[in-house]
Amino acid sequence: MELVVTNAIASAGPAYSSRPEDIGWFILALPLFASLAIALFLHRNRTLTLFFSVGGVVTAFFLSWVLFFTFGVTGLKAVPSPFPWFHAGGLHVNLGLAVDSLSSVMLLVVTGVSALVQFYSTAYMKDDRGFARFFASLSFFTFSMLGIVLSDNLVMTFIFWELVGFSSYLLIGFWYDREAAADAAKKAFLTNRLGDFGFLLGIILVWSLTGTVQFDELAAKLKSDPHSLGVWSSVAGLLIFCGAMGKSAQFPLHVWLPDAMEGPTPVSALIHAATMVAAGVYLLCRTYFIFQTTTAWPAALAFLGSISALDIIAVIGGGTALLAALIAIQQNDIKRILAYSTLSQLGYMVMAVGVGGPDAAMYHLTTHAGFKALLFLGAGSVIHACHHEQDIWKMGGLARKLPVTFRTFVIGTAALAGFPLLTSGFYSKDAILVAAVRHGHPILFGLGVLIASMTTFYMVRLVLVAFFGRSRTSSAEHAHESPIQMTWPLVVLAVPSIGLAWLPLGDYLTEHFFGAQAAGEAGGLFGPFNHAPLAATFGTGAIIFGAWASIATYWNAESDPLPRSLAFWSRVSRNRFYFDEIYEALFIPIQDGLAAVCEWLDRWVLSGVLVRGVHGTTELAGRALRMVQTGNLQTYTFLFVGGVALIILIAL
Amino acid sequence: MNYSLLTVEILTALLGLGVLLLDLWIPATSRKLLGIIAATGLGVLLVYAIGSAAPGDGTAFGGMFVVDALSGYAKGFFLVAGLIVLLLSIDSADTIHGYAEYCALILFALTGMLFAASANDFVLMFVALELITVTFYILVSFQRNRLSSLEAGVKYLILGALASGFMVFGIALIFGSANTTNFYEISTAQTALIKSPVFLTGILLTLVGLGFKIAAFPFQIWAPDVYQGAPALTTSFLATGSKAAGFVLLARVAFEAVPELTAARGHLFLGIGSITILYGSLCAIPQRSVKRLMGYSSIANAGYLLLGFGAASLAGGSAVLAYLGGYIFTVLAAFIGIQVVVSHQESDDISAFAGLARRSPWMAASLTVGLVSLAGIPPLAGFFGKLMILKAVAVQVGTSPMVILSLLVAVLGVVVGLYYYLGVLRSVYWPRSVSDLSPIPVSGTTKLALIFAVLGTVLIGVLPETTYQGARQAVAGLATPKSPATPASPPSATTQAAK
Repeated sequence: MELVVTNAIASAGPAYSSRPEDIGWFILALPLFASLAIALFLHRNRTLTLFFSVGGVVTAFFLSWVLFFTFGVTGLKAVPSPFPWFHAGGLHVNLGLAVDSLSSVMLLVVTGVSALVQFYSTAYMKDDRGFARFFASLSFFTFSMLGIVLSDNLVMTFIFWELVGFSSYLLIGFWYDREAAADAAKKAFLTNRLGDFGFLLGIILVWSLTGTVQFDELAAKLKSDPHSLGVWSSVAGLLIFCGAMGKSAQFPLHVWLPDAMEGPTPVSALIHAATMVAAGVYLLCRTYFIFQTTTAWPAALAFLGSISALDIIAVIGGGTALLAALIAIQQNDIKRILAYSTLSQLGYMVMAVGVGGPDAAMYHLTTHAGFKALLFLGAGSVIHACHHEQDIWKMGGLARKLPVTFRTFVIGTAALAGFPLLTSGFYSKDAILVAAVRHGHPILFGLGVLIASMTTFYMVRLVLVAFFGRSRTSSAEHAHESPIQMTWPLVVLAVPSIGLAWLPLGDYLTEHFFGAQAAGEAGGLFGPFNHAPLAATFGTGAIIFGAWASIATYWNAESDPLPRSLAFWSRVSRNRFYFDEIYEALFIPIQDGLAAVCEWLDRWVLSGVLVRGVHGTTELAGRALRMVQTGNLQTYTFLFVGGVALIILIAL
Repeated sequence: MNYSLLTVEILTALLGLGVLLLDLWIPATSRKLLGIIAATGLGVLLVYAIGSAAPGDGTAFGGMFVVDALSGYAKGFFLVAGLIVLLLSIDSADTIHGYAEYCALILFALTGMLFAASANDFVLMFVALELITVTFYILVSFQRNRLSSLEAGVKYLILGALASGFMVFGIALIFGSANTTNFYEISTAQTALIKSPVFLTGILLTLVGLGFKIAAFPFQIWAPDVYQGAPALTTSFLATGSKAAGFVLLARVAFEAVPELTAARGHLFLGIGSITILYGSLCAIPQRSVKRLMGYSSIANAGYLLLGFGAASLAGGSAVLAYLGGYIFTVLAAFIGIQVVVSHQESDDISAFAGLARRSPWMAASLTVGLVSLAGIPPLAGFFGKLMILKAVAVQVGTSPMVILSLLVAVLGVVVGLYYYLGVLRSVYWPRSVSDLSPIPVSGTTKLALIFAVLGTVLIGVLPETTYQGARQAVAGLATPKSPATPASPPSATTQAAK
């Protein structure tokens, strides 16, 4: 009895610190407030715009650390205390925050990268007319992204999911007077909507089968009764994966991401490296318990047999990673190379989830957010220095002219390639390879090694062509290092690209969130070589091979030798495997046909007969009734008395 | 007798008299002060009325005057409407000839509305209505130098007198057949009474008088002319306070005096409501004058409110009162924009509103909130009100074919409403041609009025529960018997009061 009482007191705690997780609401509200304040009141004042926007996200960043130390480090999970939002029939939707180790790590990633990108943008966007609009949109995007991270139910996630789509539309199409940017924004939005449709179906399916959309309730329900999703369990998982496919740009919905590079470069760093595209992977980790249910297919899909939803996800992820790496090898636009590399790495992460290693996926997501943001911001610095030149063959010799950018870019490249022992990328990539081996996917393991090799190849190619050799154009000749506001975020981001920084994270995620025993396997700096020598050795080998091949091909090259030696493959790769063309050929005639039918219906039936007809009739009636309103008092009195007579006649 | 029940009414009347007196001492150059004093006084009264909202039910004047949930609910809204109109009038203090009288008349009309909210007897109902109507005869024709204002006043006077005549006749018939004019006493005998054609005619003729006030078909004919001709300020009060008073009285008659008749003849309300919606909506389409448009809008909205009576249920009655509460804020929000533009441009043609969004974002916002709410777009008060009314009507499907018909008409009315309300907004935001883009200055008092109106519209729309619960209690309270507080009150007192 006594014990119970003590427990109650201990858990109640002192009143002032009883709910530290409520800080989450502040983290969520700050960027929203900044965005609204800028959009509504401050858009004419640059200083205040910066103060609110940067101040909001920096404060959110520090508050995220508080949450991380309260819940993340200890592995505590905040007791959810949602308040009801609405009840409609059997659908109970609450507003609540999920504060646990997963979200507190992700919060740090989002607010950290967002803060650095905003600092960077103060210089990068200095002369832009839409300065305030840019920061309002950035803050709004941060708010939406934080919403996804903190949501504790599927409906809320979906709402913020859509808000992320919307705010990325604003940011990609930021320079809306450029046709390419406007088109890219539209493409990104529509492609995402396609995935979201599946996601929505998935939410409805899960809700209709289990009666809840709350993550913790859902997890508990699936744990106590793994068959509660019945034959739909795998379908539900795949439908939710549809959402991830859109946001994380997985094949076949990957086409929007490279085009989205039309947005300002800081946006590419924020959205298309660290946050929005990571949302898909985050969602898969958040809902991983759904994928852990027994594989079952409805009768129509019974031919899939024992292939689980995760297997399909793994194959799609691996395929995307391979495809994107192949395309990246023959791109010449610095941002496009990075875009395809992002695609490839996202594929890697999705594959990691698929092979049963969501912890490895989150690990790679976190490290990747750091070094990919670094690479994008570095690319932005290069572009800025070269007067908006993006073709790497028109650069060259930048190493001496942009020393800070160069050094940090090399660190980022090493991390992305997964340079052993020194870089964070090595450890997180190794975790994925280990997961593939552990869970018996030798082919995907081989694929992972191959992709790692290709990644090194195209990244070394990028560095060699852009930074070494001689300057091939006058703009590269006269390049100057970017201002300090742009270089110091690079330096800051270079720190987490170093291996040691994130070393404990892998184990941490494994233990705290996914409840598995990591048992200190990583075991320090040389851990990968000790506990899983196969993966580590192959990984290292892949990097060496890729780097060697790239140096052999591109050292002091004046132009790309590959189109000559590998004509066909190079052309295919350069043209991005003709995906856009195929989609155009496949979907555009169908869509045009549908559109023509709809147009006919709209023009003649809806607009013609219905709208114009109704409009004409009502307008005519209105004009006719106007005749009654003569303004003549005698008529009015007559009508009045007539009305009285009529009413009495009818009512009696 | 318990005079404390009449505190708000007495103080409002005294405030009006006080303003008239003060005019003698306040110099002509600082007339604004009068409006500020009147508004402040009313603000204090409003706080008092809300603070003492639950003094407990009670009756005065031998059961003629009642204080209950409905009177409390309605008085709050009347006071707010009066306050906003007075605040709005301060800007025009120097242009209105005889501003002190104007303020005082507003306060007297308000007194009438407050009495109407508490009327529990056909005689007091008539007296309260006359107080409202007679003051409005003057308020409508207040711009004596403008022909249109005078014309509107005369039309309102003659048709109003006609309506009053019918009403008095109706009350006489009711008294003749029921031998009482007290709502509660009639309700106890209603089962037998409603079989008598004389009583029925009496009720119908009374409803004619109320129908005139609320501008229901076929007594709507005056509304567009008067709304257009009257000064915009008067119109805003006419469209809110005066109209709401009519509806509160209608609620008393329909749900307290003769609920059985209401239930039996609900389809009559549905029919009249539908025709009223159709008439208001269709006539509004070709309008270019925004004030006239608001007149038709007012008719259409009366139709929606009548549908709530047609539902003849607790839900229907609550929906009517909830709609009314939101409607007062909504219309005032719209009229603040209209009043400022009209007084600045001296025209109320849609083209006068062109580019308002750039000339005065404040006014554009106010007008937008008002019109969008009138159009019934969520999350504003107008949406919530329409939703509740349609919901109350929809549950009656199956009782009469009239229900489905009226629902269809209601939906049609909403669609047509979108067309003409948004037509004004198109001019505000996307004008075809703009000649003048000079900013329109907006004074602090107008901004204050605007904040009240917009906040009310938004809050009632976003958090409708409070209003709806208030409305629900008000209607539920009508069903509980209200015997005169002191049945043994000396008859001489009653007759004295009735005089």
